[in-house]
Amino acid sequence: MTGSRGANGAGGASDGPPPVDLGQFAGSPAVQRWLDQTGGGGDPAERGRALQLLQRFCSFRGTSPDDLVAQCLRATKSGDTAISAVGRRATDEAITAFVATEGLAGHEAIALGNRLRGFLIHNGIFLQGPASIT
Amino acid sequence: MEFSRVVGTRRSIRFFKSWKPVEREKIQVMFEAANRASRSMNADYFRAIAVNRDDLDAETRDALRNPTTTADLDLAPTYIFWYIDLEYVAGAQDRLKELVEQHALPAAHGWSKAYVDDFLWPQVLEPISKDPNAVIFMGAVETGIGICNAINAAVDQGLGTCMHAFTANEAIKPLLGVPDTWLPVWMQLVGYPAEEPEAGGQRPRRPLSKIFFEGDCRHPWEEDAEVTEHLKREGMIQAPGPFPYRAQEVRMLSRMYGLPE
Repeated sequence: MTGSRGANGAGGASDGPPPVDLGQFAGSPAVQRWLDQTGGGGDPAERGRALQLLQRFCSFRGTSPDDLVAQCLRATKSGDTAISAVGRRATDEAITAFVATEGLAGHEAIALGNRLRGFLIHNGIFLQGPASIT
Repeated sequence: MEFSRVVGTRRSIRFFKSWKPVEREKIQVMFEAANRASRSMNADYFRAIAVNRDDLDAETRDALRNPTTTADLDLAPTYIFWYIDLEYVAGAQDRLKELVEQHALPAAHGWSKAYVDDFLWPQVLEPISKDPNAVIFMGAVETGIGICNAINAAVDQGLGTCMHAFTANEAIKPLLGVPDTWLPVWMQLVGYPAEEPEAGGQRPRRPLSKIFFEGDCRHPWEEDAEVTEHLKREGMIQAPGPFPYRAQEVRMLSRMYGLPE
């Protein structure tokens, strides 16, 4: 889950960043897109924490990362894909509910929820959470 | 700040110093600038309500929030709600005659009180006032002109500002006492920028030749290089974004406020 070089067996000379071990999220386009958009998810430790957070939220919701994104979308009458206001609101509220179970408060709680929102944002779901201003 | 630099420095500011209130006198300057804007019929097309975030009770603040407008509301210390007053045509007859008396609308250009009373009002303006599409179209255009002045006045005073979709009118209407005849247009967020005023550099714009023409539509406007250089010196044209450190600036601000990266 931490995405270290050793874990991927990809040691040795390389021109690019070390490959990311997505663990159970391997093959998830949504997770890959998230990491691609955020420059590989930062340093390996940070990336590992982010993936673990996503894993906990997926367990909380009983769904997969790709379905999390899909739940925020809907098909239009013309066959296009649009953001579902209902689905997005429900997911946003679920993030708030999930954060409440994590035992955090203040800035840490807000940042945690927004990290999850970042996953959706980088998958095209326009979403805002609260800012930490106190 | 000189006019050229005000125009060139304007950005949509999205990171505000949430802790620093906006002085009331600076809002008044913005309102006065809007009130001095060009407007047809000398009509008062718009209404605006300035509200300090911290003066709102929790119920009102929550009523404004939605999944796409939450962080913005937390960061900006002042909101200005802009509306079209759909009754703006009322009184136009008297206001236009006042302009005739002031020689702003002179006979040299065909204006007279008789023209206003006998033709313009009954045949043009009163019918327009009964056409909802025309009322909204004119109201939106003229309100935008007023808002533009307010935006530039904000920049001139060192403030940052950003226009936002205003979708929560029904929720806050009773709380703010908004009449039924006011149509929501924009919610303007105002505060001191937490990001640099340049906000990472000037935004990309297409060349004048893509947008403007000379003589007819077949002849795109050709820029005079000397004028362009003059505008660079005066600050209307500034260094383009993104500055090399922009991504880091946004990252650090996001972390400070606990926002997504």
